[in-house]
Amino acid sequence: MVDTTQMEELLKRPLYVYDLPPELLASLTAKTTSQPIAEQDPEPSSKDLELAAQDSAIATSNLCSLCRVSYNSVQEQRSHVRSDHHRYNIKAQLRGNAPLEEIEFAKAIGELDESISGSESSETEEEDSEGATGTALSALLKKQAKLSHPNEDPEMTETPITPKHPIFWLSSSGLPSNKSPRAIFSKEEQDEPAHLVDTLRRKQLAPIKARTNKASNVQEPAASGPHIFMCMIGGGHFAAMLVSLAPEIHRKQGGVEDRQARVIAHKTFHRYTTRRKQGGSQSASDASRGAAHSAGSSLRRYNEAALEKDIREVLSDWKEMIDTAELLFIRATGKTNRKTLFGQYDGQVLRQNDPRLRGFPFNTRRATQGELMRSFKELTRVKVSEVDEAALAAAEAKRREEESKPSTPIPKPQPQKPKLSKEEEAALLHTSQLQALIRRSKVPALMSYISNNSIPSSFTFTPADLPQNFRCPTPLHLAANLNAPAVVTALLTKAGTDPTAINNEGRTPFELTGDRATRDAFRIARHDLGESKWDWEAAKVPSAVSKAEAEGRAEKERKTAEEEEAARRKASLDRLKREEAEKAAQPRTTKSGGRTVGAVEKSAAERRDEETRGMTPEMKMRLERERRARAAEERFKRMQGQ
Amino acid sequence: MAVRAQFENSNEVGVFSCLTNAYAIVAVGASENFYSVFESELQDVIPICHATIAGTRIVGRLIVGNRKGLLVPTTTTDQELQHLRNTLPAEVKIQRIEERLSALGNVICCNDHVAIVHPDLERETEEIIADVLGVEVFRQTVADNVLTGSYMALSNQGGIVHPKTSIRDQDELSSLLQVPLVAGSVNRGSPVVGAGMVVNDWLAITGLDTTATELSVVESVFRLGEMAPGGGGGAGVNKDSIVESFY
Repeated sequence: MVDTTQMEELLKRPLYVYDLPPELLASLTAKTTSQPIAEQDPEPSSKDLELAAQDSAIATSNLCSLCRVSYNSVQEQRSHVRSDHHRYNIKAQLRGNAPLEEIEFAKAIGELDESISGSESSETEEEDSEGATGTALSALLKKQAKLSHPNEDPEMTETPITPKHPIFWLSSSGLPSNKSPRAIFSKEEQDEPAHLVDTLRRKQLAPIKARTNKASNVQEPAASGPHIFMCMIGGGHFAAMLVSLAPEIHRKQGGVEDRQARVIAHKTFHRYTTRRKQGGSQSASDASRGAAHSAGSSLRRYNEAALEKDIREVLSDWKEMIDTAELLFIRATGKTNRKTLFGQYDGQVLRQNDPRLRGFPFNTRRATQGELMRSFKELTRVKVSEVDEAALAAAEAKRREEESKPSTPIPKPQPQKPKLSKEEEAALLHTSQLQALIRRSKVPALMSYISNNSIPSSFTFTPADLPQNFRCPTPLHLAANLNAPAVVTALLTKAGTDPTAINNEGRTPFELTGDRATRDAFRIARHDLGESKWDWEAAKVPSAVSKAEAEGRAEKERKTAEEEEAARRKASLDRLKREEAEKAAQPRTTKSGGRTVGAVEKSAAERRDEETRGMTPEMKMRLERERRARAAEERFKRMQGQ
Repeated sequence: MAVRAQFENSNEVGVFSCLTNAYAIVAVGASENFYSVFESELQDVIPICHATIAGTRIVGRLIVGNRKGLLVPTTTTDQELQHLRNTLPAEVKIQRIEERLSALGNVICCNDHVAIVHPDLERETEEIIADVLGVEVFRQTVADNVLTGSYMALSNQGGIVHPKTSIRDQDELSSLLQVPLVAGSVNRGSPVVGAGMVVNDWLAITGLDTTATELSVVESVFRLGEMAPGGGGGAGVNKDSIVESFY
C-alpha cells in the first residue's frame, strides 16, 4: 500500500494519462460493473489562467494605483495593463472585491475559478508567452487536483463503469477512484477491460525534456513520437490541431518540473457562412427553399466554398502527420460540415470508415484553438473523485430489486382527465346532441330525442364549468337565448321544462329572450299550462296571453303596418307627381328667359361623351357595344319596313 | 474647429453619428440642419455616409472605427454592410464582430493608435480590434465605469474623460494612451462625453446645449482651430473664439 502522504504529493501534480507516476500506476486496478457512478463533483467548467509575465521594477515615478505595481516606461506600463494580474484586479474592483497584490495574485491563481481574459480562447497567445513562469495547463491541473481529498477509507475495491460510458473508472489503494477517458483507447483495447491497466501501462511515454525555453518554440514539422489530430467545424468556424502525446517538461526557476502539451501544428479559420437572424447554413437554406439572390446569400455561398477549400488545403498539408496520428478526434455536425471533411474529392485525407476516428464525448463550444486545447486536456486528464461505497452498494441493490420485480404495465394516471362514470359520459353526449338540435331549431327531432332517451325535464348541460354553459345551463335557457320561439314552446308545453330555473347570472330563461316572438312563446305557454303549473312570477314571465290573442295582436300590428306603408307610398307618389308637373313647367320658363350659362344645346357626340365620363374602360366598351346593337336593330327594322 | 449641432431634439450627437479622420457616418432621417453641419465642415474632405445599423439610428453607439477600419456589431444586416462598404474608402477595413456586448461604440473607445475597451470583452474581439483598427488594446475603466466608449472622447491629439475621474486615474490613462487628457463635460454638464460629442483630429461636434466654457475646453484639449500648435493659442484668441461661438 502506498503511503497516503506520498499520494497527496502525487495529486498535487496533474495526472496526465500518458504519463502517470509509476507508484500510482502500480496500484491501479480497473473494475467494471453496469452501474454508472453518479458524478459527485460536477466538473467546474475549465477556465484557464495564465500567469503574469511581468517583472516588477524598482519603484519609479509611475505606479498602477490599482495593482500597486510600479513601472519605468510606457512599454512597461502597457505590458502591465495587458497582464492578467491587472485584468483580474479590474474585474475584482468592479465586483467590489479587494484587488490583489502581485504576490497574492500568483498565490491565488491556482485556486481561482474565473476566466480572467473574458473568453474561453484564452490560450491563443500561449505559444507567445511560452516563457511564462507557469502555464495554464499546470495552473488548471493544480486546481483540479486540489478538488479531491484523500478518502477516509483508503481501501477502494470496486468502481463501476457502464458498457459505453465515456469514462473508465479505475481504483487505487490509498486513492479515491480515477476516471480516464475511454475514447483514447482503441476498440480492441476497450473490449478487454481486464487488460485495461496493462494497456495503460504500455501507453506511458517518456516526457520530452525541453532543451531551453527558446528551443521549445521551434516546431518540428515531422513529429517523431505518437500524436493525435483534433478538429472541430461549426457555424463557419474551423479549428484543427496536431498534438504530441508526449508532454514537454520545462524547468522552472525553483527546479519544479512543469509539464505541458506540445502542439505540433494548429490552424483556425472563420468565414461568415451562417445566416443572420435565421440561422442555419446558406447551403441548407438553398437546398430547402431554393437559392436566394440577396447580397448576403451570395457572400455566404462564396464563403462556404472558400472555407471548404481552406480546410481541405490544411488537411492535405498535414496529410503525412494525420496519416501517422494515433487517433482522430473530429467534431463536424451537419451535412455540409461532414461533406467538407469526408466528401469525395481528389486527395481526400480523412475517411468516414477510419477506425481511428473519434468524437468528443462531452460538450464542446465554438471551434477555437482554446476550445481544442481544453478538449485535449479533458480527454487526456485522469481525474480523481471520491466514491461513496455505501451509496453505490445501496444503488446497486435497489437496481437489482427493480429488475427482479415483474414488469407490470402501470396504468398511466391522467391528472387532467379523471375517469368518467357512465352517467357522466351519457350526460356529455346528451349535452352535445341537445345543443346541436336547439341551435338548428329542429323541434320534432328534439322532442323525439328527449322522449327516446327519457331525458328528465330538469336536465342541465355538462360540464357546468364550460364558458358556453355559463349563460345557458339548461335547454330552455339556450332556446330563449337563441330566440327560437318554436323550441321554447315545445320545451315548455311538451317536455315540461322548468321556466323558473336560473342560470349562473341569476336569470330565468325569459330574461334571456331577445325578441317579441320568443317572449310571446313564454306568455302563451303560461296561458296554455295554467297559472298553477309553475311559479310564473318567479320565472319573470308577464301576464298570460292566449294564442289567439297573440295572433290577433300580431295580425292587428301587421294590418296597421300595412296601412302605414300604403299611406307612405301614396304620399310619396303624390309628391313625385307634383314634382314632375313642376319640372314640366320649368324648361319652358328657362327657354323663354333666353340663354343661360351652361344651357347650350349639346351635340349627340357630346352627350355620349358625357354619359361615358367616369366609367371604366370595360363599362364604356359594353355601353358602346349595346349602342351599336341598337343601331343595327334599328337599321334592320327600317330595311324590313321598306 | 468645434461646432454645435442637434440631432432632431437630442443633444447626444455621439449617439447618432461617428466621426473619424477618414470618414464620417451619420444616422438617416435627421433634419437637414444636422447634416449641413457635417457637410459644411467635411464636404470634399472625407466621405459622409448616411447609414443605419441593424435598422436603428443609434449608429454612433453601435459602431466604432478609426482611420484604418470600422467595426460593426453582429446585428448589422448584409445590406447595411454592403452600403458601408460601397460608401467608405476602399482602404478602410470593415469587419462585423460577434460579440455579446454588441453596442461597440459604448464599450470601445479608440483613436488611430490605441483603444480602451470594456474589461469583459472577449479575447477574440480584442484581437479583431487590434487587427482591423491597427491599435493597441487595453482593458481599462474610466472613473470606475466599464463603458469606456460612453465616458471618454478620444482623438489623436487628446481626450476628454468623465468629469469625476480622479487626477491619478487621468494621469495613468494619459500615460497609457500617450495623449493629454482632461476631465470635462459636454451638453451643459452631461458626464457622457463619448455619447455627447464626436471628434477627429480637426473637428469636434458637440450638442447644441454645450456651454461656451465646455466648448473652449474641448477646443483646447483636442487642439482644434486657433488653439492648434502654431496658431498662437494665446488668451486673446481663446476669448475671441468663445465670443464668436457664443453668438
